[in-house]
Amino acid sequence: MYPLGGANMNNDAPAALKLTALSKHFGRPAVDGLDLTVQQGELYALLGPNGAGKTTTLRMVAGLLAPDAGSVEIFGIDLAANPAGAKQKIAYLPDEPMLYAKLKPTEYLEFVAGLWGIEAADAEPRARRLLDWLDLSRHAHELTEGFSRGMKQKLALAGALIHEPQLLILDEPLTGLDAAAARQVKDLLLEHVRGGGTVVLTTHILEVAERLAQRIGIIEHGRLIAQGTLDELRSQTDGGTLEDVFLQLTGQP
Amino acid sequence: MNARAGSALWLLKHEIRMFFFNAGFGAKNKVGRRGIGKGSAALWIAVFVTIHVLAFALLSKIGGAGAAPPHTLVMGLSGLFAAAFSLMMSSGLRASVDVLFERGDLDLLLSSPLSSRGIFSVRLAGIVVGIAGIYLFFLAPFANAGLVLGQYRFLGIYPVVIGAAAIAAALSMLLTLGLVRLLDVRRTRVVAQVVGALSGAMFFLLSQAYGNAAGSARQQVAHWFAPMLEPGAALGPDSVIWLPGHAVLGAPRPILALSMIALAIFILTVRSTHRFFVHGVQQAVSLVRVARAPAGGQGYWFGRSLAQVVVVKEWRLIARDPQLISQVLLQLLYIVPLGVLLLTKGGERLPGIGAALTFLCGSLTAALAWVIISAEDAPDLLRAAPCGMRTIRRAKLAAVAMPAPALMALPLLWILTRNPLAALTLCATVAGSVTTSALITMWCGRPAIRGEFKARGKGSFLSNALEMLNGFAWSGLAYLLLTASTARQQSTWLLPGAAGLTLIAGTIMLFGYLSRSRDD
Repeated sequence: MYPLGGANMNNDAPAALKLTALSKHFGRPAVDGLDLTVQQGELYALLGPNGAGKTTTLRMVAGLLAPDAGSVEIFGIDLAANPAGAKQKIAYLPDEPMLYAKLKPTEYLEFVAGLWGIEAADAEPRARRLLDWLDLSRHAHELTEGFSRGMKQKLALAGALIHEPQLLILDEPLTGLDAAAARQVKDLLLEHVRGGGTVVLTTHILEVAERLAQRIGIIEHGRLIAQGTLDELRSQTDGGTLEDVFLQLTGQP
Repeated sequence: MNARAGSALWLLKHEIRMFFFNAGFGAKNKVGRRGIGKGSAALWIAVFVTIHVLAFALLSKIGGAGAAPPHTLVMGLSGLFAAAFSLMMSSGLRASVDVLFERGDLDLLLSSPLSSRGIFSVRLAGIVVGIAGIYLFFLAPFANAGLVLGQYRFLGIYPVVIGAAAIAAALSMLLTLGLVRLLDVRRTRVVAQVVGALSGAMFFLLSQAYGNAAGSARQQVAHWFAPMLEPGAALGPDSVIWLPGHAVLGAPRPILALSMIALAIFILTVRSTHRFFVHGVQQAVSLVRVARAPAGGQGYWFGRSLAQVVVVKEWRLIARDPQLISQVLLQLLYIVPLGVLLLTKGGERLPGIGAALTFLCGSLTAALAWVIISAEDAPDLLRAAPCGMRTIRRAKLAAVAMPAPALMALPLLWILTRNPLAALTLCATVAGSVTTSALITMWCGRPAIRGEFKARGKGSFLSNALEMLNGFAWSGLAYLLLTASTARQQSTWLLPGAAGLTLIAGTIMLFGYLSRSRDD
């Protein structure tokens, strides 16, 4: 099991993520006045049909898209006012890994550590540990272009973890992973939360959300239409599995 | 004409369409439509008709067709045939790599009920038509005018062009398959690109070398060749080497020989290609070769500054992409004659050479700026990082600007030993050209994909136009300033001209700065 850093839970501590009236329009509203709070030490799953605004929301949280209106606060730091301070605490992992085909895993980690300004004394042992834990050490001398989809996703995860983020933002983290790799990633997320870290993820695999998430938010047309624990969501509908709940709430047959 | 779906003709139409799309005709325009616009079609038709009129006038003037053509004409036409054939090979290599390994539709076609031999025949025929098309566009009017005027020997143009295109296409495809067996698909792509460009540029380079050679050297070459050109010698009038010239002039036996060779090599190539793909040679040679692990384990090098990690990352990515390096360096192929000129006639032609070097440095820098700044592979990773984009951009500019001065160091030192003022002037214009080219691409370039380097001209019209104008302004400035620094008598127009070009270069920069994207 990989030992992860992270903040300890504290009731007085600011929310890990607080979105207030967040909006983004691309001709039509993609995210429409979204209010969302995720507490420290929580694993929050954001679900929604295709085009609901999940990825746009996560990209705004990661500082890749500027919102048209509203604010993003990460551990009490306003992303617009202090982007460097806010970004220092988070890691963003999109469904398409942000890698360089012609770099080796070690070189990729060197680059990412350089971007986050990690000292060599901290970065090197972390990189070795991450590559060992993700079973990439024996491929450390190979170029990433020859990697399978799962290996690429694991390397991107290693890059996301090299600066020991307190908040992990993951967009469809299990896409294309085989059973073993998916298990590894799920274990990592649970371990991160147990260590006081926070995870916000989107997924289309509802069983993953059902088994991992402490709270689930359902978004449609850029608005949060329901959120709570699985039991709370069941009580708002006719019950059943998360799939039944999700389809009822989003009005799909 | 509507060919039956699934027939060879139907597939050939598809192949030809793909060849022209790939060659840039009918590139996607702003509204996402393809195909040649009405205006472009009208222009092509007008050009075709004009060539017909010119051909008719020319052939009417030449008159009767009875007399045997002089041997010098046959030699000249054979030389032209060889030049055209080298260009055909160049197009053929590019097209072969594309249709066999890049287009990625062979699995789709081979899984269809179409015959696999038929697919490869049509694929090769598509390349032949694509190659022959452009030559027939310019040469067929002569055959047609000959037909009207009763000079039937010009009808030989059709079989000669199609036969030569078939031989070039088939040889290109065989060469491509051979290279893939020896190397792998990725390296073959690079080699095909370099061989194609070299065969295309060979005649330019040879003609430049001959044109710039001293009189004594030319006489020596003529003296060396003279005995070989005597009747009965290896290159005498009866030699088979002049057959293409005779064929172009309509001699039946050479035309027949050329056509038979073309047909035979076409059939042989289809059989080889079929064997290559259907028997799985492709899979055997396409396996990724994994590098051996270093003996002492993989080394780490953490702790560099942000600027250092960005520069190192950019140069690693470029150094490991031979295809990209070859594409960028092929732009510099035409610098070779300049180097020869500099060494042989450096003093008298320095302004021209300096202007060309300034332009080339600017153009090399613009190409690298496209690769390093516009074609960033993971822009989201950089934006998600807590460091300032300004530092990243500066580091990228440094990585862009380094190679051109490194390449220029040797010529500059050579000039410095002969004319220090000229060397300093050239140093200043090269620095200006390099800096401004990089800035223009940074300000006006659009995000792109690294693999699309060849098509980067279609990406951003503004960026390309400004780069081009900027290159001309700086090379013009280099020419004027070097003329001023080397001339014994000063012309009155040199300094006002230089001031004018400086103003133009400044205006281009201002325009580029004002047109930059908002987040710059």
